Amino acid sequence: MNSLWIACPIAFSLACGASFPAPTQHMADAESAHRSAIELGAANQPAAQLHVKLAEEQMSKAKTLMADGDNKDADSLLIRSKADSELALALAREQAATVSVQRAAEKSNATDVTNAAQGAVK
Amino acid sequence: MKTIAAFGLLAVFTGCATVAPPADLLTARDTYDRASHGLAAQLDPADLHAAKDTLDSAEKSFADNGDTQGTRDLAYTADRRTQIAESKARAMQSDQQRAAVVADMNASQTATVRTTSAALGRANQQLATQGAQLQNETQRRMDADKRAAQAAADLAAIASVKQEPRGMVITLSGSVLFASAKSDVLPDAQTKLANVATALSQQDPTSKILVEGYTDSQGGQSFNQDLSQRRAESVRSYLISHGLSADRVTAQGFGMGSPIADNASAEGRANNRRVEIVVTPASN
Repeated sequence: MNSLWIACPIAFSLACGASFPAPTQHMADAESAHRSAIELGAANQPAAQLHVKLAEEQMSKAKTLMADGDNKDADSLLIRSKADSELALALAREQAATVSVQRAAEKSNATDVTNAAQGAVK
Repeated sequence: MKTIAAFGLLAVFTGCATVAPPADLLTARDTYDRASHGLAAQLDPADLHAAKDTLDSAEKSFADNGDTQGTRDLAYTADRRTQIAESKARAMQSDQQRAAVVADMNASQTATVRTTSAALGRANQQLATQGAQLQNETQRRMDADKRAAQAAADLAAIASVKQEPRGMVITLSGSVLFASAKSDVLPDAQTKLANVATALSQQDPTSKILVEGYTDSQGGQSFNQDLSQRRAESVRSYLISHGLSADRVTAQGFGMGSPIADNASAEGRANNRRVEIVVTPASN
């Protein structure tokens, strides 16, 4: 009877752990999103930097959990990691667009100054 | 027993109804509320709609299952997707602003180029006109100088010509031009005087011509003054009749004044009987 009390929780626990497969697809998705963010320079932009770091921490923790067999919690972290990397990517693109506007305005001003200096007639 | 069961069920329902939403869900709701009233709703409704779907899933998960990890993950994802929609909307706005700046710059540049080209064209045209005028003026002066040189050479061949501060002085002998005590130009002298008129007509047309008459000291002063005046007038008339403008030519007699030789000798008196034609440039 005592053996039954011990065996049942173990079997239940094993059954639960075995029922959640390793989140390899979500790991691949998270890594891919992270790569895209890094390639666009998100790690070097203040607004995006925080989310890159979060994504990296979540991926790292997920790997540890997977190694320990806790696939469910790992999957949860990978979903979050991917969301943060995608947000970092969007913020990096936004920053690039902002810089592009500033450069266009500077170029426009410089063109006006150059034209005036060269005696162009407005 | 029934009472206990009823309280148990009540406790379960009350417990469920008062379960607070997870922080992730609260954050996701706030983020979405902000975004739905902001730029994302205008510029990136598709991404905002996707974020709303995820938020709805989180709400359903919370309603069905309570504060589970699945609910929190969905809420977290909804929050990030909403922020992505906001970020994309801001990027689109920047793109629009950049396009407007570039369009303005291009339009301004095009207008400036057009205006400057037109101004340059006018300047070039003006420059060409001025160049042509300069060339014409140069040619005109060269021609005038050439004519003047030729006229001076022609005059030198038929009369005494010298340059004085008052201008070019052509001296013609009175003995050659006139009979004694007369003021009519002798027929033999008319050819010579005609050549002088031709040479003078080649000079600067704006120059002034003064015909001066002189006599020797023989005879009375009044007679000589009158004679020198009539001779000067006679030469003036001849020059005018041969093409010189009357406005340019004046005549004045000086009698026996301003002798250029000694009246004591016959040769000196002959030299003093003369007509001088003084050509003065208009600027003098």
